[in-house]
Amino acid sequence: MSHDPYKILARPFDLEGYAVIITGAGGAIGGATAHVLAQAGANVVVSDLNLDNAEKVAAEVQQATGRETLAIRTDVTNEAEQHALVEATLKKFGKITALINNVGWGEYTPLWDVTMDYMMKSYLLNTVSAYNLSKLCMPHLKKQDNASITISGSAVGTTPSPEFISYSNAKAALLHMSKSIAMMSGPEVRCNAIVIGSVDNGEATLKAGYDPAMLKRLADSMVLKRRGAPLDIAYAFNYLLSPAAAWVSGIHLHVDGGGSYKSKMPSAD
Amino acid sequence: MSALDVFSLSGQVAIVTGGGAGIGRAISELFAAAGAALVVSDLKKETADEVANAIIAAGGRAIGVACDVTNGDARKALVDAAIGQFGKVSILVNNAGGGGPKPFDMAMDTFVWAYELNVFSVFNLSQLCAPHIEQAGGGAILNISSMAGENKNVRMASYASSKAAENHLTRNIAFDLGPKGIRVNAIAPGAIKTAALATVLTPEIEKAMLKHTPLQRLGEGRDIALAALFLCSPASSWVSGQVLTVSGGGVQELD
Repeated sequence: MSHDPYKILARPFDLEGYAVIITGAGGAIGGATAHVLAQAGANVVVSDLNLDNAEKVAAEVQQATGRETLAIRTDVTNEAEQHALVEATLKKFGKITALINNVGWGEYTPLWDVTMDYMMKSYLLNTVSAYNLSKLCMPHLKKQDNASITISGSAVGTTPSPEFISYSNAKAALLHMSKSIAMMSGPEVRCNAIVIGSVDNGEATLKAGYDPAMLKRLADSMVLKRRGAPLDIAYAFNYLLSPAAAWVSGIHLHVDGGGSYKSKMPSAD
Repeated sequence: MSALDVFSLSGQVAIVTGGGAGIGRAISELFAAAGAALVVSDLKKETADEVANAIIAAGGRAIGVACDVTNGDARKALVDAAIGQFGKVSILVNNAGGGGPKPFDMAMDTFVWAYELNVFSVFNLSQLCAPHIEQAGGGAILNISSMAGENKNVRMASYASSKAAENHLTRNIAFDLGPKGIRVNAIAPGAIKTAALATVLTPEIEKAMLKHTPLQRLGEGRDIALAALFLCSPASSWVSGQVLTVSGGGVQELD
């Protein structure tokens, strides 16, 4: 890229020619991200634990955008399946321009009810898998212009969240790791994270232990007075992967409706 | 709305302070290219006009306005000029700012000046523009801050603490204005190759800066302008109260 400060790129958010791996892409946020990135020009690898969901998203994206997609079942906690994901991507697209470590899962668990095995499984899924997949992709990313790793962080990883202790700890570790990767991977590969607030991803939120009254309270507490839509997150991924963010690395971009705030002072109203 | 349309500023009217040079000029020109009508404000009228004329020559809409943002009357006149010319304001970019290392025994006026320029002007322009942005159906305020707001160093008490105040002002105003449909964010740029930086940058300083910059180059105005476009466009409609660091992944300091 030219460094003329006033030379404006014709299409700064364009991802034409990119091959992007998205894990957990069968879900709401990952699926929306696959759509948006493909619409911006990328070819997308839709990886998910559930092959049916991956195939559904991949087919929809391909039909809606005309871009090439690849659906693949990946248990990201399994190293052999991580290797298979990387190999399948290289075989299909010949390169990896961006990796989105999006997969993650956590649910409500009383603070002292978490077993060691459960805690370790949470770290394996939410943190260790992202480390290892980043490691496997790194040599391939380094060959591409404006290559990047982007991580789906969570707001619970930035604030005490005892009700999600196994998930929030693992996400906090993941966010910390993204800065270390950024530090050591420039100038070839950028690494950033999106700190995702409460997004309406349908049943998955209810499965994690929320009820509708809790969700209403949550929305009302936010600056922008609504929970996020998957597309809100997808557009942020588009920015962070694109040439527009070529000098952006090591950041945690909060996409969280402005966050929430509980005053200890009486309201002036 | 297609994925790329969400980065469009079509139909918007943007005020950019300090828009005559460096980061402000890059933001003004990119926003105009993205479809916004621009009110380019600068301390010097001819500098503001030069950028406005460049935008018009490229097919965009713009006016140049002289404005010393530390002057309350000039701030009001700037907003009036925007309304007079384009009938509305939907984006305010508080880019004007400045200051640098000052000795600890600086005069009190010098310390206050940093706050006049980097904090008070930002707050008052936000106050003046907020009703118009609300009336326009919502929009965005973006403050161009500095990594100095987080970094610690000698002789930086006035500038760095004023930038820290600007960051926290951003986070707090986001709460006041969120319910009115106005998002408020900031960018904390690292070292950007502008004429302003060139006055103090030596090859040795640049080399030292790059030692702590993973992406191995100093920034360009465009790097900030593109982040600004994201934060003022519909693509970030669920983002508010944030201070986005754009610094090549690292930290650049003068010494």
